[in-house]
Amino acid sequence: MTKLNPDNINVILATDCGSTTTKAILIEKVDGHYRQTFRGEAPTTVEEPAADVTIGVVNAVTEVGELAGRRLVDDDGHIIRPTSNGDGCDIYISTSSAGGGLQMMVAGVVREMTAASAKRAALGAGAIVMDVIASNDRRLPHQQIQRIRELRPDMILVSGGTDGGNATKVVEIAELIAPAKPQPRFGSEYRMPLIYAGNKDAAPLVEKVFDDSVELSVVPNLRPVLERENLGPARDAIHDLFLEHVMAHAPGYNKLIEWTDAPIMPTPGAVGNILQTIAERQGINAVGVDIGGATTDVFSVFNGTFNRTVSANLGMSYSISNVCAEAAMPNILRWVHIDMDERELRNRVKNKMIRPTTIPQTLDALVFEQAIAREALRLAYKQHKEFATTLKGVQQQRTVGDTFSQELGGQTIVDNMQLDLLVGSGGVLSHAPRMQQTAAMLIDAFQPEGITMLAKDSIFMMPHLGVLSQVHPQAALEVFERDCLVYLGTCIAPKGAGKSGKPCLSYQISGGSLNESGELAFGDLKLFPLAPEETASVTLEPSRGFDVGAGAGKPLTADVKGGTVGLILDGRGRPLAPPTNAAECREAVTSWIGELDLYP
Amino acid sequence: MQHAQAEKEQPMVRRPILAFMLVFPLVSSATSVLADPPRPPANLVASDAKGDVGKKVDLSWDLSPDDTAEAKPRRVIAYHLFRKEAGEAEFAKLKGEPTYQSTSFTDENCERGKQYLYRIRAVAPGNELSTAVETTEAVIPEMEYFVFSRVWYGIILLAVCGSVTFFIEVARSGRELKIRKIAGLEAIDEAVGRATEMGRPCLFVPGILDINDIQTIAGLTVLSHVAQVAAEYDAQIEVPTCRSLVMATARETVESSYLAAGRPDAYNEDNIYYVTDEQFGYVASVTGTMVREEPAACFYMGAFFAESLILAETGNSIGAIQVAGTAMPSQLPFFVAACDYTLIGEEFFAASAYLSGEPHQLGSLKGQDVGKVIGVTLLLIGCLMATLYSVTGNETIGTLVSFLTNNVLGGGGFLP
Amino acid sequence: MAQAYTPGLKVTNRLSHRMRRVLPIAGEVKASVGDRVQARDVVAETFMPGDITPVNLSNTLSLPPADVLECMLISEGERVEIGQSLARTKGIFGLFKSEYKSKAAGTVESISNVTGQLIIRGKPLPVQVRAFLAGEVVEVIPNEGVVIEAEVSYVQGIFGIGGETYGSVRMACQQHTDELKADLIKPDMEDCVIVGGARMTGDAVRRAIEVGAAAVISGGMDDQDLRDILGYDLGVAITGSEQIGITLVITEGFGEIAMAKRTFELFSSREAADAAVNGATQIRAGVMRPEIVIPLSEEEKAREVEPEHTAGLLEVGAAVRIIRDPYFGQIGKVAGLPAELTVLNSESMARILEVECESGERVAVPRANVEMIEV
Repeated sequence: MTKLNPDNINVILATDCGSTTTKAILIEKVDGHYRQTFRGEAPTTVEEPAADVTIGVVNAVTEVGELAGRRLVDDDGHIIRPTSNGDGCDIYISTSSAGGGLQMMVAGVVREMTAASAKRAALGAGAIVMDVIASNDRRLPHQQIQRIRELRPDMILVSGGTDGGNATKVVEIAELIAPAKPQPRFGSEYRMPLIYAGNKDAAPLVEKVFDDSVELSVVPNLRPVLERENLGPARDAIHDLFLEHVMAHAPGYNKLIEWTDAPIMPTPGAVGNILQTIAERQGINAVGVDIGGATTDVFSVFNGTFNRTVSANLGMSYSISNVCAEAAMPNILRWVHIDMDERELRNRVKNKMIRPTTIPQTLDALVFEQAIAREALRLAYKQHKEFATTLKGVQQQRTVGDTFSQELGGQTIVDNMQLDLLVGSGGVLSHAPRMQQTAAMLIDAFQPEGITMLAKDSIFMMPHLGVLSQVHPQAALEVFERDCLVYLGTCIAPKGAGKSGKPCLSYQISGGSLNESGELAFGDLKLFPLAPEETASVTLEPSRGFDVGAGAGKPLTADVKGGTVGLILDGRGRPLAPPTNAAECREAVTSWIGELDLYP
Repeated sequence: MQHAQAEKEQPMVRRPILAFMLVFPLVSSATSVLADPPRPPANLVASDAKGDVGKKVDLSWDLSPDDTAEAKPRRVIAYHLFRKEAGEAEFAKLKGEPTYQSTSFTDENCERGKQYLYRIRAVAPGNELSTAVETTEAVIPEMEYFVFSRVWYGIILLAVCGSVTFFIEVARSGRELKIRKIAGLEAIDEAVGRATEMGRPCLFVPGILDINDIQTIAGLTVLSHVAQVAAEYDAQIEVPTCRSLVMATARETVESSYLAAGRPDAYNEDNIYYVTDEQFGYVASVTGTMVREEPAACFYMGAFFAESLILAETGNSIGAIQVAGTAMPSQLPFFVAACDYTLIGEEFFAASAYLSGEPHQLGSLKGQDVGKVIGVTLLLIGCLMATLYSVTGNETIGTLVSFLTNNVLGGGGFLP
Repeated sequence: MAQAYTPGLKVTNRLSHRMRRVLPIAGEVKASVGDRVQARDVVAETFMPGDITPVNLSNTLSLPPADVLECMLISEGERVEIGQSLARTKGIFGLFKSEYKSKAAGTVESISNVTGQLIIRGKPLPVQVRAFLAGEVVEVIPNEGVVIEAEVSYVQGIFGIGGETYGSVRMACQQHTDELKADLIKPDMEDCVIVGGARMTGDAVRRAIEVGAAAVISGGMDDQDLRDILGYDLGVAITGSEQIGITLVITEGFGEIAMAKRTFELFSSREAADAAVNGATQIRAGVMRPEIVIPLSEEEKAREVEPEHTAGLLEVGAAVRIIRDPYFGQIGKVAGLPAELTVLNSESMARILEVECESGERVAVPRANVEMIEV
């Protein structure tokens, strides 16, 4: 991998090898700005018969090349670098989630403390966490051993104990893992990579426990004291081992590793990277979601703290049946404004699960599928909130004033009021026939409070930009702002609850094509068109007990951006609770649908 | 038992000379009417007392015309009451004498179903007795099944017990009873977890009072939970006690918790030990342990006095997560300021229901809350009305106030 | 883009089928190359390491962990019985010795001087693998299992519940479009693999469990019935370990859907033959479908091999089945393949095709919502 001067980079090629498709995009410098210009895709070729990931990459890149009128692949099937005579590209980067991505098992002493930190490190690095072993997970040692043996993780992360703290328990966990002899997923010829990131005093003891069957790397403790998390070294170790051990054994990857100019990253890790970069550069809090067929990933950056969760069984095809089981039918049907037969719906859900590629043909089917998506997103976000917390096990500082308001440690850091940008991606969100539908699904599921910008990543370009941000942050940022996101608009939602029909907010909007003022009644939705390039200045005066970000009942003036949908004033209250009575609920949902013009 | 003594049928009227000689020196300057016996009271009525098991008879009469409030000196100083069963010949005097100006008395030594006749005489200071007035019809004390005077007590009791039963049923049916989150109890897992991660022990101080104090008992309930969590996490727990009995109980508690957690082998009884009965000797020992071993979690659950701040400050200085619980109002501010979490009074007693999550415990907790709500509501209404009455002087309000104080709250009501 | 969804379900009257039958962990293989095995024969066996009993000696004997080793009366690898003394402290001047007597029988796996913990492993638990496929062992994978080959009739279902089971094929319905109702299940169907036509009703399944049938196979079933039978809402499509007393396989999908005619005829032709059924399904990467294997007898093998059916190209005249509402389950022929994107009722843009249904009706559906079938 050669280091290039960023100023000399004009053409960037990026691929993302997903489990079904490999997507390639081309980024070029146009008039001094980096822009995403062409994209192409081809089926991923990790599995038999091709069993070489580079074939899919070359196919996708060739398609981009044809569209761009630029030769990117030479006759030997190599990517041409650097550019010469209008052919080839300056750098090539890639991410990968093929073969199910990076699957890890993590272990720690206390489930809510070091084990949670270990899970955070693994998820943040882009892994899927298959299980968390902890001394208080209420399983007996033999059950834990059994579980470790059944799982076939690509990698194991062991933590536990603060520095100078508990060594006994850490060694005990190591003693559990060692006899279980975990089997790696890709064949048995390579040794299981195991990262130890626990009590540094216990490191020599842990090393003694493991024999040659594992590839042990010791990194600094990820919880040196309970008050502080140090996830960086463990994350880096995961990335390194992912390349050295896991990827190197997947078909064709050793070739791909040689081709790329930056280390290949697991796709979700790259998405986390770009979101973090954006949040940091713009000083905002952001949440991103990618809803897939089997899993839903939620990423969040609040006050500089990045968190990621994977809800393994919430998705729109393989996992659709599980969404229905977890959310329960009545919760899904509350979003539906037309009559549907529950027995029939249950069969439809199961049929979608066993034949995941079908698409909704009728309006009913679309309405129902989007209702399920709302619940899947809601549940995934709930899981995310439960996971993204402040650290547990930290001493609290009190004064006598806290007598009646003693707060627990480990509270969620996800605060919808402070959320500035909400980005959605994944089939059901990015391919919804109307933009309003995407916006409505995001609002209903995530329930943003105050002023929140909504966007979608229509072609899921975030992974590419995530890797790019490590090589060329400026290019990544420029493309992210100009081409990656489709801005849907801004949602303004006062937090609080009131009586239906009573005013909850008076507003004044000026700027762009808008010059409106009026009152918003509780339970109502209002949509004002505001084009993507336009901004408007809004003055909001919430009624008593309602909050738009300045405090309950306090007025707020802000500039808001438009989008393909526009400006949405959501007076349905937070937390959003559609009426429990079925008939009232349907009436309310019908009026919301009417206001947003969701369905024909 | 015979309480009354037979009355001599020879009153002093027939020996006026003797009577005169007895009284004369005392009232030498007084009038000559002294020798006269007082006029008798009138209208003696005996009736069966309501709401008893049949042992009481209520008596009432009109005052003797000589028994006036203004009369100085008094012409009547008491009334003597006599009773006989129908068919008996002699009246016997009842124990107890109603004083002047009283018009009623309750004979509490009757037997159910018997017929009684009563007689009354007024007594003058010189022990002269008036002529007797008797009841003509016999009264029969009977048993009633309901004490209507205590009906409010019954209503309130029903409301409290009913809500306890109701909430127990609700909890049993699987519906979730909303119990406010008590941060201090939720934090136990966190505190023990911290101790586990740091490889340090947990310290549990069950107060300095003996096992007969309810706070110590409540503290031991929390101890059983802390010990169970410690057993699950495999953290070491240390319990120094100030009383030998508390030590014995704490050992039992902790051992059964370890057993419940499935880790009986991890239980070490040497970690639960007796220090001294001396308040400050105990504190010195405990703080010494704290400074030497630096436990990562300290729990103070029980009755505390001056040592509260000494313990909590020491714990704070070694960086431990501290959870305190006490019903000592004077010590609470110290604990709140120096500890991470504090259970205040009722919270502390509610701990066992909260921690166990068992339907009958949760239900009775909720039911007791209903009782408290009823009590507080009545008190507030009463205060409000009494204030209004004293301001306005409105008679209706006055009646309501007295009804409230006498019937609902007093006597047969909320405060029996 | 002439592609349609193919679930890739194999339904074939004759197939030379190979199956790997391996243990989850290394063990002993009980068959050798060339052996003929029956479905229920055990071909490999091993013993799972037994349950672990940890004993914290340092706590029970009040010793520092480092001193535990000195007090041990037994060493690693030795067998111990219940009541046997495992460790004895030195005491003070030889007095006040305390002892630990084992509460579990097994082998001493390890003694740690860091934690003071002794680990006793209990009696091994046997794990057996049966042949499932009656046929010839063609390969032995040392310490793991065998590969068995046989000529079979082979049917893959789309979804199943329950594990491996064996029985003879019994047809309960006359037609592939007949619903499998409770009155069609006869008491003599004990240990049989009952084959129905269209939807199996919940009552029929309960009746089948009552008579002790081995498995029920039919075209479809209602999800509501499935939930009633399982007692919970099936979320993740990973099945095979349910304990409901029967194995269920549906071949087409959920709801009112008839079994494919070819599948039904295949079962009819093999009535009374011994079958092995596995309901285990995994709809994930590395998809697993329920399967029914019916080994061929010698005389049947002599018959001509049916030509291999492959899903053809999606072209006008090809037989397809619509696999999504509103025409779910309908079968027809492709009547037109317009190339341009079309706006659906749901306003989505998609490539569509026109299907002429058996009823003669002509409907347009997205290409993603049909699957190729063999007639």
